[in-house]
Amino acid sequence: MNNHLIILFVLLPMGAGIATLLLHRWPAIQRAIGGLVLTANVVLAVIALGTVSGWFASGSQDDAGRILVSQMGNWPAPFGITIAVDGLSAIMLAVESIVCLAVFIYCVSQLPHRFSGGYFHPLYHLLMLGVQWSFITGDLFNLFVAFEIMLMASYAMFCVGTTAAQMRQAYKYILLNLVGSTLFVTCAGMLYGQLGTLNMADITRIGMAGQLPRAAVPVVVMLLIVFGLKTAIFPLWYWLPETYHTLPAAIGGLFAGLLTKVGAYAMIRVFVMMFGKAVWLDASGNVIAYPVNDVVVPVLLVVAGITMFLGVLGAVSMHTVRRILSIHIISQVGYMVMGIGIAMAAGAHSQELALAGAIFFIIHNMVVKCCLFLCGGLMVEHAGDDHLDRIGGLLRRAPWLATLFLIAALSLAGLPPLSGFFGKFVLIREGFSGGFFLVSILAIATSLLTLLSMLKIWSYGFWSTPQGRHVTHPDERPRTAGGIGAIALLVVFAMSMGFGAQHYVGVTTAAARTIVDPSPYVRAVLGPQHVPVIQTAQRATQTHAQLATADKHAGGSR
Amino acid sequence: MTVLTAIMVGVIFAVSVYLMTGHELKGVCMGVFLLGHGANLAIISSSRSPLGKLPPVLADGVNLADLVDPLPQALILTAIVIGFAVQAFLLTLLVLTWRRSRTLEMGDLAIEESY
Repeated sequence: MNNHLIILFVLLPMGAGIATLLLHRWPAIQRAIGGLVLTANVVLAVIALGTVSGWFASGSQDDAGRILVSQMGNWPAPFGITIAVDGLSAIMLAVESIVCLAVFIYCVSQLPHRFSGGYFHPLYHLLMLGVQWSFITGDLFNLFVAFEIMLMASYAMFCVGTTAAQMRQAYKYILLNLVGSTLFVTCAGMLYGQLGTLNMADITRIGMAGQLPRAAVPVVVMLLIVFGLKTAIFPLWYWLPETYHTLPAAIGGLFAGLLTKVGAYAMIRVFVMMFGKAVWLDASGNVIAYPVNDVVVPVLLVVAGITMFLGVLGAVSMHTVRRILSIHIISQVGYMVMGIGIAMAAGAHSQELALAGAIFFIIHNMVVKCCLFLCGGLMVEHAGDDHLDRIGGLLRRAPWLATLFLIAALSLAGLPPLSGFFGKFVLIREGFSGGFFLVSILAIATSLLTLLSMLKIWSYGFWSTPQGRHVTHPDERPRTAGGIGAIALLVVFAMSMGFGAQHYVGVTTAAARTIVDPSPYVRAVLGPQHVPVIQTAQRATQTHAQLATADKHAGGSR
Repeated sequence: MTVLTAIMVGVIFAVSVYLMTGHELKGVCMGVFLLGHGANLAIISSSRSPLGKLPPVLADGVNLADLVDPLPQALILTAIVIGFAVQAFLLTLLVLTWRRSRTLEMGDLAIEESY
């Protein structure tokens, strides 16, 4: 379905960014613009999600018909620039916009003026512009441009109000990301040289028709390094724990909630959708190999196991709140990569469900991780420090903060009935039924250690004997109402994900369906004449799987 | 032509990696800038050898197969613009670092110690 309004996801933050830049002397107007635009963004994203998921009775009943597509300048698909919102994009947009709104509330009410005044606002909106553009773009080169905008804003945010010591870490972050971006643009150019197109739907079509050239495979695998660097997976993670903890907690939360998840999103889009069904055919049209999957899946699964386990070991060994939370990001990324790996493994029990689990885990993590960072920020407001030996007794001092932190922390660790449990449950179950025992066992072990590291913050920070600035200066009462409000918004959202998990998993499963079998996406973007050829053997197994699930559902309802 | 470009890309990448492994921030930044140029050269080679082809200008009676593929040039143009922005940002950061800590040696920059 053509809907040109989806360009608003780019135009709104861009307009807000420009307006707040021009008005940088008037913080009150900046705040008003920010609040207005971010709220409008949430509303738009939820409407888009509703349209794509078919909540509205007037909408089309067909997967391809519900995907929102807009061709820039009305150039036909593979030649112009395509933007498209499918299920995955819509989910990411909706959750991202809510996270951004909450962090914005926190920033304007808690951060000191040297962070939150003047040029902070344009950077915030431009960061959102980059993130949202990478969610809706249907073109590989535009994904690069969107990444660049997002990273450029994040570089500048790193340097707003930093000390000299943090500058050193900023260099590490900037230089590494620049190398990653250069690699990305090289890959995109070489892929164009091989395939003659950069349109995601067109590349998907070429892959599914068995026309992927042999030389394109190494280029695609090189993209794994690019996204791996952004997502911070095992050998490429070293920049993250060194840099994120130097940020103010709120900006750290924003980065933790968005930046690594954009990398995970790009992985799903590129590896699962674009190349997951890429095949090589023999002369009679039978599938002889999945060229990209065969290389990427073992790498992803091994890396996922190592990433999640080493990440959580790092978290257990750390002693400041922000460091524990930053290094935890890595461990959580492991779960996402595990889900992506299982979803790509050919012949897995159910690719769709594994990917649905991964998407669910990503959105759960965006919310909860960001929420924990914000809690960490408020702990510093109360105790004046975030070293676990120098804070304590916050349970008495800030009971609301303690409650919200505990819910978010247990949700991250994955205790039922909170949101983390369902994400992990789906992933681990799919892992076992797909026969990936080692990584699934590691996932369970990681989960336990996550609980341990969260309880560490809880017992040192909230339960132990009071110490810190709130003891030496008992009359200093920081104003935390805005911060608590922002955290409460995220916690309520995370709890709805836990108690209403059935609905959320339903939405993510629908999104995963159009990623695992991308023919609706290809039809929606390129037009109905381009129906990709699905190989007969594959179609047979798919139909079996569908019948089996249909049976299960029928049995359940009886 | 393609072989020549490939060799040049290789040399540029090698030099930039050498620069980036240094300890001096100016050199490291130059290495990153150079890497961008190498990448641009690699992309332009994806439009195949331009020998015997016409510039991509549409006119009457021109056979489309005789034209050079213009898209890689468009890609590079975008990449160059982004590269400029990043260079400007990094150079500003270098000046700022120098003003604050009077050194551009990576090892001499202050380290924050708290685990």
